[in-house]
Amino acid sequence: MVLQQEANKQLIHQRLSLFRFPVLFVFLILAARLWQLQIIHGSEYALKAERNRVRRIELVAPRGEILDRNRKLLVENRTSSDVLLYREWMKDKNAAVQFLEQKLEVSAEDIEKRFHRGKSAGLYYPIVIKEDAGMRDISVIEAYRGEFPEIQISLKFRRRYCYGNLAAHVLGYVGEITEAEIEANRFPGAKPGSVVGQSGVERSYNQLLTGRDGERQVFVDSRGREVGLIGETDPLIGSELQLTLDLDLQLIAERALAEKVGAIVAMDPRNGEILAMASSPSFDPNAFSSRISEEAWRSLTQHPDHPMQNRAIQNSYSPGSIFKLIMAVAGLEEGMLDGDPSVNCRGYAVYYGRIYRCASKTGHGPIKLEQAIAKSCNVFFYELGKKLGISRIARHAQAFGLGQPTGIDLPGERQGIMPSPEWKMKARGSAWYAGETISVSIGQGAVNTTPLQILRAVSAIATGGNLVTPHVLLAVDKNDGGSVEWPVKKIPIAERNVHKIREGMWQSVNNWGTGHNAAVPGLDICGKTGTAQVIGSDKGRDLGEEAEDHSWFAGYANKDDPEIAVVVFIEHGGKGGVASAPIAKELFSAYLEKQKPKSITGDESRTSMFKESTRGGPLPFQAKND
Amino acid sequence: MLFNFDWLLLLSIVLLSIAGITAIWSTTEGTSLNTYFGKQVVYLCLGLLIFLALLYFDYHIFSDFIVFIYLAGLIVLGLVLVIGESSYSNKSWINVGIFSFQPSELVKIAVIIALAKYYSELDMDYVGFRELLMGGLIVFIPVLLVILQGDLGTAVTFLPIYAALSFLAGIKKKHIIALLIIFIAAAPIGWFLLRGYQKSRIETVFNPSSDPHRSGYQTIQSEIAIGSGKFLGKGFKRGSQGNLGFLPARHTDFVFAVLAEEKGFVGGFAVLSLFLLVSYRLYRIALEAKEKNGSMIVVGVLTLFLFHVIINLGMVVGLLPIAGIPLPFVSAGGSSLVSYYAAMGLCMNIWIRRYVN
Repeated sequence: MVLQQEANKQLIHQRLSLFRFPVLFVFLILAARLWQLQIIHGSEYALKAERNRVRRIELVAPRGEILDRNRKLLVENRTSSDVLLYREWMKDKNAAVQFLEQKLEVSAEDIEKRFHRGKSAGLYYPIVIKEDAGMRDISVIEAYRGEFPEIQISLKFRRRYCYGNLAAHVLGYVGEITEAEIEANRFPGAKPGSVVGQSGVERSYNQLLTGRDGERQVFVDSRGREVGLIGETDPLIGSELQLTLDLDLQLIAERALAEKVGAIVAMDPRNGEILAMASSPSFDPNAFSSRISEEAWRSLTQHPDHPMQNRAIQNSYSPGSIFKLIMAVAGLEEGMLDGDPSVNCRGYAVYYGRIYRCASKTGHGPIKLEQAIAKSCNVFFYELGKKLGISRIARHAQAFGLGQPTGIDLPGERQGIMPSPEWKMKARGSAWYAGETISVSIGQGAVNTTPLQILRAVSAIATGGNLVTPHVLLAVDKNDGGSVEWPVKKIPIAERNVHKIREGMWQSVNNWGTGHNAAVPGLDICGKTGTAQVIGSDKGRDLGEEAEDHSWFAGYANKDDPEIAVVVFIEHGGKGGVASAPIAKELFSAYLEKQKPKSITGDESRTSMFKESTRGGPLPFQAKND
Repeated sequence: MLFNFDWLLLLSIVLLSIAGITAIWSTTEGTSLNTYFGKQVVYLCLGLLIFLALLYFDYHIFSDFIVFIYLAGLIVLGLVLVIGESSYSNKSWINVGIFSFQPSELVKIAVIIALAKYYSELDMDYVGFRELLMGGLIVFIPVLLVILQGDLGTAVTFLPIYAALSFLAGIKKKHIIALLIIFIAAAPIGWFLLRGYQKSRIETVFNPSSDPHRSGYQTIQSEIAIGSGKFLGKGFKRGSQGNLGFLPARHTDFVFAVLAEEKGFVGGFAVLSLFLLVSYRLYRIALEAKEKNGSMIVVGVLTLFLFHVIINLGMVVGLLPIAGIPLPFVSAGGSSLVSYYAAMGLCMNIWIRRYVN
C-alpha cells in the first residue's frame, strides 16, 4: 500500500514536472508584454491616454460679413444645428437608423452613404446625419436622448445671403472644401471640413473673409462629456468687406433682367467701382450653405442657360456696333478722319466683291463721324476700317482693354478676343482675309468681348483715356480700402478726339439716334447701341435661322462730368436701341433719383428702395432656404 | 497544525484580493459602480471564513460524499436554467435572498473533486479509453448545462481541468490523438455556437485596429491604460483611462489594466509574481499530497487558476481574444472570489493533512 503510494507519487512527480517550464514560459511572456507596453512604448501610450481624455473642440470662426457701399448688410451668418452621430456610443445601429428615418426624415440610403463617407474617420469623430436641423428635429432628439445618446446636436455658422438671388454672381457662394482643393492647396490653411468660398467675392476674398478658428481644450470622459476646462481661445470673425455695390441700383438691375438672359453692369467710370453687376438667370447661394442635393446641383450646372455663369465677366460676345467707338478712336488718332470727312451711305457698300449692308436699307446719305455714331451707320465704319487696316484697329482696341482681362477682383474672368492677323495665324492657322477687317469694323467677325470690357472701354472714353481696373471691394474692416491700389492706365488720346466721340454718343441718345430710348431728362447721357448678329449656332446650341440678335447698350452720364457708366447686354434681345437702351434708362433714372437731396423729413426709407435687412428679421427679398 | 499551515500561500491570495479591492476603490468611487468596493470587502471576509471553515473537515469527506455534491450541483445548474437571472446575455445567475450567485463557479470545484476521485480510484498507471470517456462524461454534463445557460466562457474553463487530470491519471498518446480528433471535429460546431460578438472578438485579436469602434476598442483602450502607466504608474485614483471610463469593465475583467495604469510596471509585475507564487505553492502541495486523490484535486484547482489567470491577463495585455473571464482574487465579483477561497481552503486542507494517515 505504502509502496504503491510511493510509486504513484513518483508518477505524479514526473507528469507534473512537465508543466513547470511551459507555465514559467507563459508568465515570462506576460511579463515581457508588460515591459513592452509600459517601458518600451510607455511614452506613446501616455500620449494616447492624454489624447483620449483631452479633447480639442474646434470653435469655427464665422466668416466676415459683406456690406454694400452704404453699409447695408448683404451677407451675414446664421447659427444652424447639425445632427451628429457618434458611432462609439451606438448600441444598436438598426434602431438608430430606424429612429433617424422615422423621426428626422433622413432616408436610410442617405444615412448609409454618410456612414460610408465617415468610415475612415477616427475615434469620436461624429458622422453628420442632417444639416440645418429644425426646432422640431432638435426637440425630438432631446426627447430620445436617453435611448439614443449617440445622436447629438452641434451648433454651426452658416452663410445667409440676405437677399437670396440678389448679386449672387458677385457675392458667390461657399461650400465645404473638396479633396481636390486640399490636394492642390488652393486655400492655404484650410482643413478638411473647412467652409471656403467657391465663387464670387466669397472666393476671391476667401482669405480675408475666413476668420481665425478658436479652440476649447477640455477633459472629457469616455462618453465625451466635458469634465473640466483646460483652456480656450476665442474664434476671431473674418474681416468685414464693404463692397462698391449699391443695393438699390443692384435691385433695379436685377429686376430689369428678370425673365431675360443677359447682364448689366454699372460702374463709376472715374475709379472703376462697380455699383451694380447683375447676370441672369441667377441662383440662390443660400442653397449651397447647407449640403446641396445632387439634383439641385445638377439642375443648376446642367441648365441650358447656365445660371451659375456670371455673364458680365465669364462669357464673351460680339460687341456689334458698340465697337464703332473704338473704330472712331483709331480713325481719329491715326489721322484718318482729319478734316471731318463725310461718307455717302447708300444702305450698303461693296468690298472685295461682297455686299456689306447698313442698318438703314435706304442709306444715311452723306454722313460724318458724330452722326455715324449716333445713327450707327455701318458704311461709314466699313470705309474707315478699310483705310485703317486690322493691325491698327487691333492696337487701339487693345489699348482700350479689349481682348484682355479687366483685372476685376472676381474669379473666372474671360479674356475675350481682339483679332489680328497674328492672332488668326496662331489660333486658326490661316491667313487674315481683307474682308474680315470690314466685319470687324462693325464689331462682328471674331471680335469677342465681355460686357465688362465694353463698359471699361466706354468709361475710358468718358474720362478722356483713363483705363480703370474695375473692382467690387471698397473697404476692409471699415478701413477705407486704402491698402488696395487699383491701377489706372492712361491711354494717350487727344482731348479733342475724345470730345468728338462723346458728341456722337450724346447725339445717339439725345438727338434721335439709335440710343434715344436711354434718355433721361436731367441727365446728360452719352451712349452707344449694339446689335450683334448671331450666326447659325452659338456654343454648339442650334439656334435656327430665326435667332434674335444680341442686344447691347453702353453709356455714361454726364457727358462732361462722368459719374456713372452702364452696360446692358441681353442675349437674343433684338435691337440694342429697343431692348437694352430702356433698361439703361432705368438705371440712369434710379441713379439720378439717389443723387437728389434727401427729403426734409429725413425719412431714410425713401432714399433706399427697401429697408436695411435686420438680422433675423423678415427679408424683403425672400431667401429660399430659410 | 499551525506549522503545517502554508502562510505564504494565504498571504499571497489575500494580497491579491487587497490589490483588487484597491483598484476597485480607485476606479469606482464616486460613480454609479461605487457599491462594488463594499461588496468586495464583504466577499473577501466571507471567502476567508469559508476558507477557515473548510480546514476543519478532512477533505476526504468531500470525496466520500462527492456523488451527492455533484448531483446537487447539477440540480442547481438545472434550476438556474429555469429561475435564473440574466446578466448581459447569460442566464447563469441565481438569486439567493440578498445576493445573486453564479453556481457554475462552485460546480467547477465539485467537478474537480469528482474527477479526481474517479481517476484516483481506478488505481492504474495509464487509463484506458473507456475510463477517459467516463471522465469526460463527468465533465461534459455540467458543461452542457452551462452552455445552455449561454455562458460559453465559463463552459470552456472545464476543458483544461479535464485535460490536466486525464494527463495526470495517465493518458496514452493514441488516446490524446483520438481526443484531439474528436475535439477538432467538434470545433466547427463550436464556431456555430459562438455568437456574432464572440466571433468578432476572436477576429479582432489578429487585427485590433480593423474595427476601432467596436471589439477592438476594448483591447486598444486596455493597452493604452497599461502602457500609459509606464514604470511607476500614475498613482492611486490618477489613472485617466480607468477613472474617465475609457476602459471597459474596469472593475471586473479589465481590473488588471487599472492596476497597471495606476501602479505601473512595478505593480503589474508584482501582481504577476504573486500569481506565480500561488501557482508554485499549489504545485508544491500537489507534489507533497498524501495520496493521488489529493494531488489530483490540487492540480485541478491549479489548472483552473492558471487558466483563468493566463486567459484574463492575455486578454488584458492584448495577446488573446476578449473573453468574459475574471482575474482570480482580483476582479470584482463574489461568486468567483468566494469559490476561489473555497478551492484554496480545500488545497490548504490537503496540505496540512499531508502526513495524516
